[in-house]
Amino acid sequence: MMSKRKALMPDVFKRRKRVRVGGLVRPTPSSPQWGSDNEEHISAAVPSDTKAAIMYLCSLFPKQMYEGRIPPIIMKHQLYSVVKNKTLVDRQLNDLRNAHEVKMMKLGNEVDEYCLVFTEDYKNHIATFYGQELSKTVERFLEDVVSRTNEMCVTQQIMTDHNFTDVEITQLVNAGVLTVRDLGSWWLAIPGAGLFVKHFTKGKKAVLASIRKSKYKEILKQELESRKMTASVKLGMSYHIHDIIGGDLVTCIETTSGELLRLKDD
Amino acid sequence: MLNFLSCRENGTLDPLALVRAEATRRTFSLELSKEQDVKRIHASGVNSLDLDPVEGRYLISGGADGVIAIYDTHNLSGTPSNTSEAVCTVGRSHRHVHKYSVETVRWYPHDTGLFTSSSMDKTLKVWDTNVLLPAEVFQFEGTVYSHAMSPVAKKHCLIAVATMTSIVTLCDLKSGSSTHILKGHRAAVKCARWSPRNPYLLATGSQDNKVLLWDVRSAKSSLMSLDQHNGELATSTAAVNTAHNGHVNGLCFTPEGLHLLSFGTDNRLRLWDTATGRNTLVNYGKICNESKKSVQFTVSCGSSPDVVFVPDDSSIAMFDVFGGTSLHRLVGHYNYVQCCVFNPDTQELYSGGSDSNILVWVPDLGRGEDYEESKKQKAEPSQRSQTTQAYQDTWSSDED
Repeated sequence: MMSKRKALMPDVFKRRKRVRVGGLVRPTPSSPQWGSDNEEHISAAVPSDTKAAIMYLCSLFPKQMYEGRIPPIIMKHQLYSVVKNKTLVDRQLNDLRNAHEVKMMKLGNEVDEYCLVFTEDYKNHIATFYGQELSKTVERFLEDVVSRTNEMCVTQQIMTDHNFTDVEITQLVNAGVLTVRDLGSWWLAIPGAGLFVKHFTKGKKAVLASIRKSKYKEILKQELESRKMTASVKLGMSYHIHDIIGGDLVTCIETTSGELLRLKDD
Repeated sequence: MLNFLSCRENGTLDPLALVRAEATRRTFSLELSKEQDVKRIHASGVNSLDLDPVEGRYLISGGADGVIAIYDTHNLSGTPSNTSEAVCTVGRSHRHVHKYSVETVRWYPHDTGLFTSSSMDKTLKVWDTNVLLPAEVFQFEGTVYSHAMSPVAKKHCLIAVATMTSIVTLCDLKSGSSTHILKGHRAAVKCARWSPRNPYLLATGSQDNKVLLWDVRSAKSSLMSLDQHNGELATSTAAVNTAHNGHVNGLCFTPEGLHLLSFGTDNRLRLWDTATGRNTLVNYGKICNESKKSVQFTVSCGSSPDVVFVPDDSSIAMFDVFGGTSLHRLVGHYNYVQCCVFNPDTQELYSGGSDSNILVWVPDLGRGEDYEESKKQKAEPSQRSQTTQAYQDTWSSDED
């Protein structure tokens, strides 16, 4: 605990020794303030941590099992378990959304639970999901609305701007690319995501129950990963571990034998 | 540190840099004091704390038992260990004691001769510290959750009072009556704070999930309502213009007044730009907040980066204000933490909780070892004399 705290404390008196190369004092790389941390330097140097994290989490998603019925979906809060700086994740995620690389959508039971899908994956998914039956309306919707907005929901105003009639909107809702949110506003949605939500909530419950049953309601991450719960945990154990850590349902404690996950009792 | 001091001597270092560096080091190294504590006066939870803004010496506390106590935090005993005694108390036997739980106590921002207290018994009392009698009592229709006086105002002495009715009342100390009311909230108002920069800017947080900013001179309604989505998701009729997805029960301006922090029962802390009213989208993560009443949290002063201290269940979480990273967790209370205040001069933190304790968190001043040694040296001779008396023996092994 103490060592972690020391690492977080800014080097106010510049006590750390500078690297000497050939007698010359090298200036410390762009640290005008002691507020900047070592970790931040690294994350600033690599193009985008968040994108890498999304790709990593997508790779954990069991694509083979769903046989293309669902694109790789990850939850937004899972990112917080990979990249520790939450603000940085949010900012980079906004950049990614503005660049139309990633789609954020409302999914899940909580108020602030969102899921992320790569725009490319999303479009491909809809194309394969309907195959030959892909209607003109859905195609037009993908091109006009999905490719142009970074919003999670669309309003009547936006839809009429893109010349969608009420009948066509009903078609879109029936096709599953829109779900009703409120009067005159709809969430963007992934057709067939119900299966994912079912597996996700069931798996989450099973993982949390397994931690709750263990002694002192805590378990080593390594031990949890090695547990075989294939029946209830369809999405893979590490996928769920990222979910519960990022969702602040457990606290991570560093121990000499790896990370320990302790259930937060609310 | 020594390097900084010699640089300061030579004049090669900006005077502020040394102060800032030391303040930062101290703020980051806060821990529960081993030597200092505050005498336990309250029989039930401590709801509110305030440190006098003139000297930073007198700490005032208001408890759920209706008692108000004032403590001297300076250590005049000459020894490192010290218990801050109560200078005076408004106890249960006092004639003018609040009938029910005291929700907020505040010093008058310019003097220790006056303090204000508000309570669940629907009153706000203005006290004369020297005679310990109320100079003025304001009555309200609903229970009072919080009140505040502007720390910088020179042209008005208004107390903003947040009550269970959705109306914010402004009471004028000059005339002893309420001057006007601010209408805009739709449910109970939980907290009110004045800006430390603009003497007319008031922020209020309410049970209707909104944070409103007011200019008290303007005859119109509020200046603006803070929107967590910055207008991006403003299409839903239900969640329009809310600051949180739960009741807002804590507000705190940063010391320079450029930003406002709000704390809600959706377990979130949000940072707002006070000039534009935009959400800065700093993500602090989940901070447990189940309080039905106002929660008092605070921001450090003079350190870089600045640190916010937020009650999180039975501990106090420390976050970098502008980065949002979790820095540390101060663990010590046995029950919910209700309030904390920061002393900007000594970088000490005082916190009060439902376990009726007031804890003192002090920075590591780098003299712990000397103290320990001196204490041992003092303690040892007395112990030795006692033990030798009890087990005296003439035999000695030195002769072998």
